[in-house]
Amino acid sequence: MWKKNGALLMTAALSVTAIAGCGSSSKEAQGSGGAQTPAGPTKITIMANLHTAEVPSDLIEKKVEEATNTQLEINWVPDGSYEEKMNASLATGTLPQVVYLKNQSSLILFKDAIRNNQFWEIGPLLKDYPNLKNLNQTILNNTAVDGKYYALYQETPLSRQGVIYRKDWADALGIEPPKTTEDLYKMMKAFTENDPDKNGKKDTIGLTDRNDLIYGAFKTLASYFGTPNSWGEKDGKLAPDFTFPNYVETMKYVQRLHKEGIINQDFPVTSKTDQQNLFITGKAGVYIGSMADVISLWQKINPVNKNAKLDVVNRITGPQGTTGIWSIPGYGTAMLFPKSAVKTEKDLRAILTFYDKLMSPELTNLIYFGVEGTHYKLQDGKAAVVDDIKLTDRDVKPYQVLMVGGQSTNGMLKPYFSYDTKAKAEELILDNNKVLINDPTAPLDSKTYTEKGVRLQDIIKDATYNFIIGKIDEAGFQKEVDRWKKEGGDKIIEEYNAAYTKAKSEAKK
Amino acid sequence: MGQSAVTSKVSIGGSKPKSALLRRLVKNRALYLMILPGLFFFLIFKYIPMFGLVIAFQDYKPYLGVLNSPWVGLDNFRRLFEEPMFFRILSNTLILFGMNLVFYFPVPILLALMLNEVRRNGFKRVVQTLIYIPHFMSWVIIVSITFVMLSVDRGIVNEMLAAMGLAKVNFLLNADWFRPMYILQIIWREAGWGTIIYLAAMAAIDPQLYEAARMDGASRFRQMWHITLPSIRGVIVMLLILKIGDVLELGFEQVYLLLNSANREVAEIFDTYVYTAGLKQGQYSFSTAVGFFKSIVGLILVMAANWLAKKAGEEGIY
Repeated sequence: MWKKNGALLMTAALSVTAIAGCGSSSKEAQGSGGAQTPAGPTKITIMANLHTAEVPSDLIEKKVEEATNTQLEINWVPDGSYEEKMNASLATGTLPQVVYLKNQSSLILFKDAIRNNQFWEIGPLLKDYPNLKNLNQTILNNTAVDGKYYALYQETPLSRQGVIYRKDWADALGIEPPKTTEDLYKMMKAFTENDPDKNGKKDTIGLTDRNDLIYGAFKTLASYFGTPNSWGEKDGKLAPDFTFPNYVETMKYVQRLHKEGIINQDFPVTSKTDQQNLFITGKAGVYIGSMADVISLWQKINPVNKNAKLDVVNRITGPQGTTGIWSIPGYGTAMLFPKSAVKTEKDLRAILTFYDKLMSPELTNLIYFGVEGTHYKLQDGKAAVVDDIKLTDRDVKPYQVLMVGGQSTNGMLKPYFSYDTKAKAEELILDNNKVLINDPTAPLDSKTYTEKGVRLQDIIKDATYNFIIGKIDEAGFQKEVDRWKKEGGDKIIEEYNAAYTKAKSEAKK
Repeated sequence: MGQSAVTSKVSIGGSKPKSALLRRLVKNRALYLMILPGLFFFLIFKYIPMFGLVIAFQDYKPYLGVLNSPWVGLDNFRRLFEEPMFFRILSNTLILFGMNLVFYFPVPILLALMLNEVRRNGFKRVVQTLIYIPHFMSWVIIVSITFVMLSVDRGIVNEMLAAMGLAKVNFLLNADWFRPMYILQIIWREAGWGTIIYLAAMAAIDPQLYEAARMDGASRFRQMWHITLPSIRGVIVMLLILKIGDVLELGFEQVYLLLNSANREVAEIFDTYVYTAGLKQGQYSFSTAVGFFKSIVGLILVMAANWLAKKAGEEGIY
């Protein structure tokens, strides 16, 4: 008996846990696509990220299918594990016909595969479609690989970043809206020390943050301190943001918050849900991140605390006396069409036809706002979404991710905000456009960065957290930066600078 | 590929109808039929995927496939050994493994001995069931519970420390607390489950031995020491060797969930490294090489342990 177990054990020991999948077996395209007779519905397989906890209802999907004569097969993957799922699908050759990429960094991961002809180039085809041809040229350029377009995109505001805070707490303590990072510090300090909720207990903190240096508070604060957006110019050459003194200043600022107990002490391991819960339950008074979140925060805070008032603020100036805010390259989600699943150009055209129809104002309104009368009402020619979050989360929110283009290109309704702070947040998001800090490397390419940039960035991420929680000092941080350089960072700097000079000299011509 | 090998074997057998092997096969056909499903299971899910290991020697690109990706020899292994993190990962893995053996391994034995001494069957069964239950909880839940309990903001442990006038401890962001947290979670989850085999082995001990010992006036403790423990020694050794076989399988899920920026220096192990370097960043070949290396170390350790066990007069596992 033990003999058999031994064999079993050895097999188990040898079967490597890694992804030893055989990528060669690329699956047959699941849908026969446009190859069918035009009368039958086109079958389209899609993989997209799901932002809600539950599987969406198919109400909207059915309506879209009806309007576009398609049969959609959407594989919803929870947003949190989307990147792994996407990479595993790529590795095993099981990508569907349409792959949604969450953001720019996913697109970078796919660059190698794109260059190796794994995805359809759609640039030359776009002009044949009445809606798709309206897509913004500048944003398409940001998605381009070697100057060619492969992706449709969903427009997102260039920068939503700002500060959301408890107006009622500030009023109770007689604090003016913060204008500088020092004001902000004083406000958060007062929220921690001076019992803003007047319950006689010192049970509040200033800032709630999470395990995300980019979409959490850190990068936005860094912008206020004048740090460049990922990369900046120093003595005429590009250098990564963490080599700038402003970055260190930001770390010191957050370190002070951490040391004085103003920020949640566990923030490097706090999830977004927990971070928001601290704010919603009246434990924390400031939330730095996407100002658009004010509506969901408000919807959750209002039922439990009728006295709570929220306000948003942007353009905080740093000690250097100026302000700025980091931006993204104008697109959030991007959609790619793998050749392994979309076999012929005819199939591709059938899919593009679907997206062209989807980009019409009627269908965009349907997937973004839902059904008129059920999910939204028209008010002053704008779409006023009903208050029932459960309903909209189930029926509409998941499908928003499918939208192509945005406000400026697809003729959708403007949203109506009954909550005035949300309206203000949207104004401030537009206002951010005047003080944007762009990432100069967005259109550039570095081979080393594509290969190991993400892992190298982990060194900096760890070092930043460790500095903030006081585990390492400035010299220790510098040592980690040197490690970053040694393990490939120097090469990345070199490659980006070569691409940068080249792009500059081309622009002069 | 594996299937064609099987059929060719059968046809060879068919060509010599009088061979002893075939006669044996025919005679015991029912038994052989019964092992077929198991055989296919290992063939399909264990042996065939093993061919994927070749990508450890390639610069594997998903779109080129295994057949067309360029060969790079031992480059991936060279990179692993040159990796500055390598020795840290190796030592983290071995330390966690050592802690597993020293702190976790004896716990189920002790528990089983204690349960075995319980005279009231009903009580014994209730306790047994209660200590099994954690085994069925996913690591996500266990780690979440730990987080909620140990958090500095409102965590019950820290609230208690504060109430006693002690300083709060940031357990989650402190590298020193990672290992105790890791091992305690394992004990809490697995100790009860681990008693099953020991209890079964103890149930198989001949009651006459105990009767004889009682006649001779042996106390309960003496009986435990001279009868129970020696009787289950073989099982203990076998489980120990199996445990060593898992040397580098420290539970990816658990460690990955506990891992953060502040404890990476002690918490990064091979499994988590394979995941971050491989799946998250698409370096399939490199991470396969890491996994391969890990398996080889595991295999060597098992063989060594088995050899030692045999030397010591025990049965070993093969």
